[in-house]
Amino acid sequence: MSKVTLNDINVSYDGKTQILKGLNLEIGEGELVSLLGPSGCGKTTTLRVIAGFIIPSSGQLLVDTEEMTKVPVHKRNFGLVFQSYALFPHLSVYENVAFGLKLRKMDKNEMDRKIKEILEVCDLTEYAQRFPKQLSGGQRQRVALARALVIEPRLLLLDEPLSNLDAKLRLNMRVEIKRLQKKLGITTVFVTHDQEECFSISDKVAVMNGGVIEQFGTPEEIYSRPKTEFVARFIGFENFIKLRRKAAQTYVAEDGSVFAVEKDGGQEECLGTIRPDDIQIVSSNDTGSNTILAKVEVRTYLGKSYQYELSTPIGRLVVNDGSGNLVNAGETMRIMLPSTKIVLV
Amino acid sequence: MRKNKFLTFYACLVFGFLFLPLAIIAVTAFNTAPTISFPISGFTLKWFANVFATKSFLSGFQLSFMLAIVATLIALLVGVPAAYALSRNSVKGKKLLKSFFLSPTIIPGIVVGYSLYQFIVLKMKLPVMQGLLIGHFLVVLPYVIRVVGSALEQFDFSIEEMAWTLGCGKVKAFFKVVLPNISSGIVAAFMLAFINSFNNIPVSMFLSGPGVRTLPTALMNYIEYFYDPTVSAVSVLLMAATIVIMFVVEKTLGIGALTK
Amino acid sequence: MKKQSTILLIAPITILLVVVLILPLLAVLLPTVWEGGAVTLSRYLSFFQDPYYIKIFVRTLRIALICTLVCMILGIPTAYFISRVSKKWRGILMSIALFPMLTNSVIRAFAWINILGKNGIVNQILTALHVVDQPLSMLYTEFSVLIGTIYLFLPLMIITLVGVMENIDNDMMEAAESLGASRLLSFVKVILPMSIPGIITGSVLVFTGAMTAYTTPQLLGGPKNMLLSTLIYQRAMTLNDWTGASVVALVMIVTTLIVMKGLNFVADRLDKRGEN
Repeated sequence: MSKVTLNDINVSYDGKTQILKGLNLEIGEGELVSLLGPSGCGKTTTLRVIAGFIIPSSGQLLVDTEEMTKVPVHKRNFGLVFQSYALFPHLSVYENVAFGLKLRKMDKNEMDRKIKEILEVCDLTEYAQRFPKQLSGGQRQRVALARALVIEPRLLLLDEPLSNLDAKLRLNMRVEIKRLQKKLGITTVFVTHDQEECFSISDKVAVMNGGVIEQFGTPEEIYSRPKTEFVARFIGFENFIKLRRKAAQTYVAEDGSVFAVEKDGGQEECLGTIRPDDIQIVSSNDTGSNTILAKVEVRTYLGKSYQYELSTPIGRLVVNDGSGNLVNAGETMRIMLPSTKIVLV
Repeated sequence: MRKNKFLTFYACLVFGFLFLPLAIIAVTAFNTAPTISFPISGFTLKWFANVFATKSFLSGFQLSFMLAIVATLIALLVGVPAAYALSRNSVKGKKLLKSFFLSPTIIPGIVVGYSLYQFIVLKMKLPVMQGLLIGHFLVVLPYVIRVVGSALEQFDFSIEEMAWTLGCGKVKAFFKVVLPNISSGIVAAFMLAFINSFNNIPVSMFLSGPGVRTLPTALMNYIEYFYDPTVSAVSVLLMAATIVIMFVVEKTLGIGALTK
Repeated sequence: MKKQSTILLIAPITILLVVVLILPLLAVLLPTVWEGGAVTLSRYLSFFQDPYYIKIFVRTLRIALICTLVCMILGIPTAYFISRVSKKWRGILMSIALFPMLTNSVIRAFAWINILGKNGIVNQILTALHVVDQPLSMLYTEFSVLIGTIYLFLPLMIITLVGVMENIDNDMMEAAESLGASRLLSFVKVILPMSIPGIITGSVLVFTGAMTAYTTPQLLGGPKNMLLSTLIYQRAMTLNDWTGASVVALVMIVTTLIVMKGLNFVADRLDKRGEN
């Protein structure tokens, strides 16, 4: 098991465009850490720095206490799984998996044993003699994983490994990767732009934007307590209200409405944000705290709930309601923003 | 891409090998010395003047140019319909027919030239021009079949069927819908065919007659008797023409059109 | 489409090819295997018993083979280089590779006369540097034919290889490296095997081209270094030995066909990626 430290990593393209701007990240032993963010945020670049395909213009990469920043790719012993899988088309499944071991000049029997073992673990035994062209997407994915794992890598690096699979297979492979990773106890970096996938698989998540990490924490922390507006928007907070601090745990919106906020960060000027699912529709005569009056602009059927786009004195809000009590466009309703669900960013 | 110094160096050497010989010719074309020598002793354009004073070059150019155009047009005239028929539907023995149409590439040019000389010039006693035209038709036909064929493979035939349903006759649909959509393939085929006909030696060598020589054979003949930079000057002119053609192709079709 | 219209569309080209290609070929080649109302191979047997012809035949094969190998050695790394640079640079480099191919072969041979001749550039440099006292005779040797032929066909090899290599994903190289292969080893173990179809196609084109090229051996080889192609021309045009020329022509056709089929057979065996 290894821990990984990225220290003030800078990467620029053509010496002009900064792709990574002083990135810091610490990954603990045996952890599965996801790099989450929109395309162009620098997550793949970060992975490629760890893999050794990119030498940062400044900064350090440490694995345990060993400086690895300039070690050539082939001497790092990190397992890598590509989005395209990059299986060697001219080699069979068995030969693909054997590729890395052959380079390690291992005893033939030992090698054969290891390959058979990993093929067994990845449920590929019966496909050993097939060629990549003859496999389904999920099988290819497993070969790529087996090929990366059989060299007993210090780190496992996965670059959007599930994005080429259909939805159902993706779910299965997600569980499979997590199971293997825990079983082998291997420190893993997982790059993805899919937040659901990311939250379900990771021990910790680094949300990236514009070449820096905006927030690093457990999936629960990030899901419930985003620290910046970007993170909040990226993980599905759709309502943002400009707030000013009045007293401890009490904030005022621009129109003067007062909101109680449980988690007070102490900021004077900030945005209060809340998920559409967390806003409640209350009875029209309920004038308790954190309630406001809203007019329905558009109602959309989402399947398990209805989504309302509302215009309110504090701006446009989106609410999801699963109660089945329909309110038509043009009518008004009273909504409540629970003080426990408002997050200040 | 992460750069590899050795690979870059190696590639530079190979490009040097490809480029330098032609660059050397270009330089010698402007040298005053009557033999080809380095370093050059002075700048002159007299070798270019000499080119335009040499009758065999002028008539050779004229002949080569005409020949390339006419042979290519004939090849397009019979080649495009055939390529269309082959790609449009499942003709029996389609593969066999296609390789038959491409067969002039399998037969070495020197053999084509020789057999045409024997059969057409000696046995049938056809005039020199007809013989040359037939020979060059065979040289260019495979380019037409291959390039137009691959353009037709890219073509979505449901577009043509759409035209039929809109009341367009088959012949009209071919000219109004199919042809405009494979026009870049036809232009590329024309360019490749033209260049290869213009540069051909082995076929022309056998089929030239008294006073009827293509430019390359005239050049070859000249080299055997004279050794002066006039040939360099011709080369420079032809290379300049090639650059112009390549530039036009790059701007219109992309240079990839010539490497298929 | 109706059958009639198909026939109508392919009839002109078929008739033309039969009349101007097949008939002349048969008229030339048939008499070489037909004597006194019976099929005979005696002319071919005597061709392969004549030391003079054998020498030319072997020289032609030797030059074609060495030329193919050198084109591979020079072309494979260069093509890989071209396939890995940015799109803009690839266009520029491809144009530079394409340019000699579009230039007349007389001009390309003439360039080497200037370089290798008695008063050529190489000799001028060597004498200026006092490496040699007497100019070397490099022109009109097998060496000069070889260089000229390599120069003729290297672009073809490069362009064919780039066509295959640019479709190989960069991930392949990176995957091999991440598994512990150095870049050289990754190239040898992954890129090279994946390029085999292109290498074979290129080799077929270069080998058959080199076997049948006429201009280059004519201008750079001289009468002492005759190849099959120059032999045909000499037999036919200088000696009026029609049968002799026709025999050489068929030998040439058959040899190129054998090499073509043979290499393609090897390619199929090597390319074991499996079918769906």
